[in-house]
Amino acid sequence: MRRIDDLSSFHAAREAGLAKLMPNVPRIAVGMGTCGTGNGAEAVYHAFADQIQGRGLGYKLVRTGCFGACSEEPLVNVRLPGKPLVVLHRVQASDVTAILDDIAAGRIPAELALCKIEEWDHITSHVQYGCDYREIPLWNEIPFFQGQKKLVLRHCGLISPLDIEEYIAVGGYEALYKVLIDSDPERVIEQIKLAKLRGRGGAGYLTGLKWEMMRKAQSGQKYLICNADEGDPGAYMNRNEIESDPHSLIEGMTIGGFVTGATEGILYVRAEYPLAVHRLQQAIEQAEGCGLLGENILGRGFSFKLSMVEGAGAFVCGEETALIRSLEGKAGRPTPRPPYPAQKGLYGKPTNINNVETWYNVAPIVIRGANWFQETGSAKSPGTKVFSLVGKVQRTGLVEMPLGTPLKTFVYDVGGGVAPGRSVKSVQTGGPSGGCIPQDMFDTPVDYETLAQLGSIMGSGGMVVMDEDNCMVDVARFFVEFTHSESCGKCVPCRSGLDQSLRILNKFTRGQATEADLVTLDEISRMIRDMSLCGLGQTAPNPVLTTIRHFRNEFEDHLRAKRCRAGVCEDLALSPCENSCPLHMNIPRFLELLKEDRTEDAFLSVILDNPLPASTGRVCQHPCDNRCRRAGVDDAVNMRDVHRFIADSAFADDALYARAMARLLAVRKAATGKKVAIIGAGPTGLACAYYLSLLGHEAVIYESNAAAGGMLRYALPDYRLPKDTLDREIGIIEGAGVKFVFNTVVGRDVMLNDLAGEYDAVFLSIGTWKESWVYLPGTELTGVIPALPFLEAVAKQQPVTVGRKVTVIGGGNAAIDSARTALRLGAEVTILYRRERKDMPAIPEETEAAEAEGAKIVFLAAPHRIVGDAEGRVKAIEAVKTRLGEYDSSGRRRPVPTGEVIRFACDTVVLAVGETVDLDFVKASGLKLQESGTMLEVDRYSLETSRKNFYAGGDLITGASNVSNAMGYGKKAARNIDQRLMAEKRWSQLWPDFEYAQSAPHHPSESGRHHVREVDAAVRAKTFHEATLGLTPVEAMEETCRCLRCDVRNGD
Amino acid sequence: MAAASSTHSLLRPEEQDFLDGLIRKHQGQPGMLLAILEAIQERQPNHYLQPEVLEYLAARTGIPGSQIYSVVTFYALFNLRPQGEHSVCICRGTACHTRGSRTLLERVKLQLGLQDGDDDGSADKVTATTADKKFTLRTVACFGQCALAPVVEVDHNILSHVNERALEREIDHLRENRDEAN
Repeated sequence: MRRIDDLSSFHAAREAGLAKLMPNVPRIAVGMGTCGTGNGAEAVYHAFADQIQGRGLGYKLVRTGCFGACSEEPLVNVRLPGKPLVVLHRVQASDVTAILDDIAAGRIPAELALCKIEEWDHITSHVQYGCDYREIPLWNEIPFFQGQKKLVLRHCGLISPLDIEEYIAVGGYEALYKVLIDSDPERVIEQIKLAKLRGRGGAGYLTGLKWEMMRKAQSGQKYLICNADEGDPGAYMNRNEIESDPHSLIEGMTIGGFVTGATEGILYVRAEYPLAVHRLQQAIEQAEGCGLLGENILGRGFSFKLSMVEGAGAFVCGEETALIRSLEGKAGRPTPRPPYPAQKGLYGKPTNINNVETWYNVAPIVIRGANWFQETGSAKSPGTKVFSLVGKVQRTGLVEMPLGTPLKTFVYDVGGGVAPGRSVKSVQTGGPSGGCIPQDMFDTPVDYETLAQLGSIMGSGGMVVMDEDNCMVDVARFFVEFTHSESCGKCVPCRSGLDQSLRILNKFTRGQATEADLVTLDEISRMIRDMSLCGLGQTAPNPVLTTIRHFRNEFEDHLRAKRCRAGVCEDLALSPCENSCPLHMNIPRFLELLKEDRTEDAFLSVILDNPLPASTGRVCQHPCDNRCRRAGVDDAVNMRDVHRFIADSAFADDALYARAMARLLAVRKAATGKKVAIIGAGPTGLACAYYLSLLGHEAVIYESNAAAGGMLRYALPDYRLPKDTLDREIGIIEGAGVKFVFNTVVGRDVMLNDLAGEYDAVFLSIGTWKESWVYLPGTELTGVIPALPFLEAVAKQQPVTVGRKVTVIGGGNAAIDSARTALRLGAEVTILYRRERKDMPAIPEETEAAEAEGAKIVFLAAPHRIVGDAEGRVKAIEAVKTRLGEYDSSGRRRPVPTGEVIRFACDTVVLAVGETVDLDFVKASGLKLQESGTMLEVDRYSLETSRKNFYAGGDLITGASNVSNAMGYGKKAARNIDQRLMAEKRWSQLWPDFEYAQSAPHHPSESGRHHVREVDAAVRAKTFHEATLGLTPVEAMEETCRCLRCDVRNGD
Repeated sequence: MAAASSTHSLLRPEEQDFLDGLIRKHQGQPGMLLAILEAIQERQPNHYLQPEVLEYLAARTGIPGSQIYSVVTFYALFNLRPQGEHSVCICRGTACHTRGSRTLLERVKLQLGLQDGDDDGSADKVTATTADKKFTLRTVACFGQCALAPVVEVDHNILSHVNERALEREIDHLRENRDEAN
C-alpha cells in the first residue's frame, strides 16, 4: 500500500476506504470474531463467497469483528447502496441462498433482521447509510442495545479489522495526525487529565497522571506497554476489541508514545487469543507499510516501534510489575512499588502500562475533547465501560454502557433476566478479584467507587449472572482455587493464606466445616487482603469476603444443615434430584428398583421417603425436573409420574401392599413413651406425625375438619386428586400408628397451654386458609367469591352456585383450580392475570390443561372494578390493560396500567389472588412473629419457635406454598423433635438397606421423556373424574432407563 | 542441568538451525524468552519442551538454565511432557463454571479413563494424557468465549454450548477415526 505522508495521501486513503465501506454494490459483512466463528460464521462466509462467485454477483464480501450481540451470532451485515445497514442474526449457511436471492431482487431478508443502522457515530467521524425499512427496528431500539453507548466499540463489527483504509475512512488515524501536527504533547496530556479518563483494567487510576509522570521521567529510552493479558475468567471484552478493531489500539498507543516520549511500545497479548494475535500482527504490518507506524510517522519526524509478545498463561502477569518481569524473560513475579514503572520499569527504564480499553479512549478524547468525554458517565468516572454480560442471562454479549448505569439495567433490560421459572441470585463482577453482588442490591450504579463499597471491584468488566442453581460457597471456592493456583508464591500471606482458605472452603463444600472455620476463613481473608504484596493477593479474598457478607445463610446451610440448596456441592447431596426435593426422596433408588422390576421394594422405598406418594405424584410442583442432569441431553426424567406409577401399582395389588406395609412396620422403632401433639392434618402435619410415629413416639393430630388431608382434601379438586387415592394414603399414615382427633379447633376446643402440659412437644402446622382480599370497587356484590371457600365447598359436596359466566382473577394454582372447577360446573370461564404467561405461579401443565378445556386467559389485565346490577348482583368486570414496566425485586417486570379499560360480562367473580394464614390464631398463640407480623418465627435449622418444645412448619412459617414444601417441613420437624426428645440422632436408623445396582448406565435409554396421558379435554371437562391417567408400565420402565444415575460417583 | 556443551550432539543439525534462527530473530527484544519457547513448543510434534532443547537454548543465549526452567514451570502454556495426539481443553472460566463445565470435565475424565491420580494439579486444574498418548485433557482458566458457555476446545476448534452427549460423541468420533486409521 502507498505510504501516507501528507494530507493528500491521507485523503486518498480515506476515499478508498469509503468506497469499500459504502460501495455502489451490495456489501455483505460476516461477523467473524471468535464468538462468530464458534457459532458457525466460517461456514456462512464460505457459503457467501462460493455463491457470490458462482452466481457472478459482484457483491462485496468482507469479514468484520463482532457487533456485541454474541448470543445472536452469527451476525451478518447487509447493506444495499443508499440504504440502511441491516444486521441479520443467527444466520446459517443454509440461509445464504435465500439471502442472496433477496438481495438480487433488491430486498432485505426481513425475517432474519435483528436491527438496522441508518447512521453511525464513529466518534472520530460520522457515517450516513440511508433511511428505509420501516418494519425493522433501529439498533438502539432493541432491548439488548437500548441505552448502550458505543464509544470504545465504535468500529466493532462495522469495519473490516484487516483493512486500514476502512479504518481511515471512519476517521481513523486522524487523531494521531492532529497530535503530530499540533506537536503539543502537554496539551494532549492535559486533555486526558481533564477528561478524567481512568484505567479500564480495574484499579481505575487516572491515566493522565500516569502519562504526566512518564513524560517528566528523564531517560533516553522509555517503554509503553499495552496490557492485553486478559486473564479474568468471565471477561473477554479485550479479545473482541482487538479482533474487531486493532487499529484503534495501535493509534492510541502511538499517540501515547508521542506525548510521553516513548519510542517503543509492546503489546502483551494472551496466547489463548490466537485470532486477536493474528489480526493485531497484520494491523501492525499494515500500519508500518503506510508509514503510520515505525520510522518518521506521517512524515512528521516521530518514530515509534510496536512489537507484540504472547503471554504464556499466568494470571498474575496482569499485575504491571509482574508483566514487566515476564517481558524481561523471567517468571512473572511482582515487585514492590515504589519504584513505580514510570520511574523504573522494563529493563529499569521509565515504563507506562495501560489496559487495552484505556487506549481505545485516547483518539476520541483527542478529536472530541475532554468536555465531550465528560458528558457521558458519572462525575468521578466519566466515559463508558465495556462489560461482558454472561452466565445465566438470556442475552449474552458485550455491553458498553455509561459508567454509573445501575446493575439491574444490565441484568434485566439488556440481558433479559434469567430463564423463565428461575430467579437471579447475584452478579459476579471483577472476576477473581471481585465479588458477588446480591439481587436486592441491583439498584447499585456500576462505577469504581460503588462496587468497591460493596466489597467487589469493577475489574476489567466481567459480569457473570448467577441464578438459584449456583452455590455461593462453591463460587467462592472456585475463585480461591483459581487464585490459589495462580498465586506466584512470592509473599507468604497470599501463598499460604490462600492455601488455608481453600482447605477451609473445601471443608464447607464437603459438609465438614465448623462454626470456627467460618470465623477463621473471615480472619484469614482479611489478613491476605491487608498484607499481600501485589494486587492479586490484595483482592483474591474479595470473592470470599463478599459471599460471607452477602450470602452468610449459604455458608451456614453448609455447616449446620449440611445442605447445599443449589445442589452444586456434590458431597452434600445424593443427586441433584434428591437435593431439590423438599422431602429429599431417594429418587435414583426408586427408579432403579422399579427398573429391576422390584415394585414392592420400590414402593417401600417411596413410602419411607414420602407417605403421600400418589398424591404428590399427581400434584407436586416437581422441582426435580429443573435440576435433572438428563435435561442437558434432552429432557428431565419424569420422576414425579414414576413415583405416582409405583404408588398406584401398589394400591392396585393388595397382597403387595400388605407385604410392603408389614415391612414398613418392621422398621418402626419401639415405643419411647414420648407424646407429641400435631396441630393440623394437612400435608405438613401428616408428614411430621408419620415419621414421629415410625420413630416410636405417640403422635396425635388435632384437626378442625372431619377428615385428614388439609388442602389435599379440601382445596384440590377431585379431577386432580381423587379422594379415594388420598384415603389410601391416609391409610398408610394411620397404619404407621398416627392418631387423629377430628372436629377439634385448637384455641377454641383445646388450648395450647393444655397441650403443653399433656405432650412432650407440640408441632404447629396449620395452613393458609384465609383468602387475601383485593380492594376494588364491587367486591361486596353477590356473586363475588374467594377461591378457597369455593373449592372447599365443591370438595365437601356442598351446594355451590356459580353463574353461566365466571371470571377468575389470579394466576396461581388456586386460580387455575377454580377455573377448571367452574368449567366442570358448566360455566364459561375467563381468567384475568396482570402479568405475562411466563410469570404465572401455577404449574404450567395445569394452565395448559385449563386452556384445552376451554378456559380463556387474558394476560396483562388488572381488575379495575366489578360492576353490579340493580339487585346488587355481579353483571360485569372491568379490567385495565397493563404493559410491562420496570423489573421489580422478584425479577419480573412490573405491570403498569395503560388506561385502556376492557369489560367482560359475567355473573360470578372468583378471587384467587393469594392466601394467608389465620392471623387470629397466630397472634393468640403468644409466639414470636416474623417482622411481617403474619408468620411465626422459628429457628431456621431446628424449626423451634420462641417457646421451648413448640415447633412450627409449613405455611405458618413460609406463607402459602405447595404440598411438597409443606411435607418437607413436617419431615424435618420430626427429625429435630426426635433428636431433642431422645438426645441422640436416630433418624438414619429408619432406613433399611436396599441392595440395587450401583453403576451408571453406559448407554442410557435414547427414549425421549414420557408425559403423563391426559383424558381428552372435551371429555374430562365435563366431569370431576381424574383428568390424567398416569404412565403405562412400559412408559414408566422407559423413564427409569433414562436416568443417568448421578448418585453413582466416579470410582465407586 | 548438565553442561550445555555436552548436549549439542543430542540435537539434529536442522533443529539447531531452527533454534539459532529463532534466537537471532528475537535477540535483545522484550519478551524474547517467551516468544522463543512458544515457537519451539508449537513446532514440536508432541507440543512439549524437551530438556536437551532447553539446555541448548541456555548455552546459546547465555540465559541461566535455572531461569529458563523457572519460566517454563511458571507459565501454564508450557509442557514438559509429550502431549497426546488429540487435545481436549475444557474451559473452567466463571461463565462456563456456572453453566456446568465441571460436570463436563468429570464426564470426559471418565470417558477417557483418566483417574484423579493421572493429573498434575488439584481437582479442577487438569493436565493429563491417556496412557496410549492419544488424548490430552486439559483445562484453561478462560478462553474468552464466555457468551458461548460452556465451551470446549477439541483439536483447536471451539465447540460452543456443549452438553455431555455432544462432547461424548465428539470424542468417540475422534477415537473411531483413529481406529480406522490404524
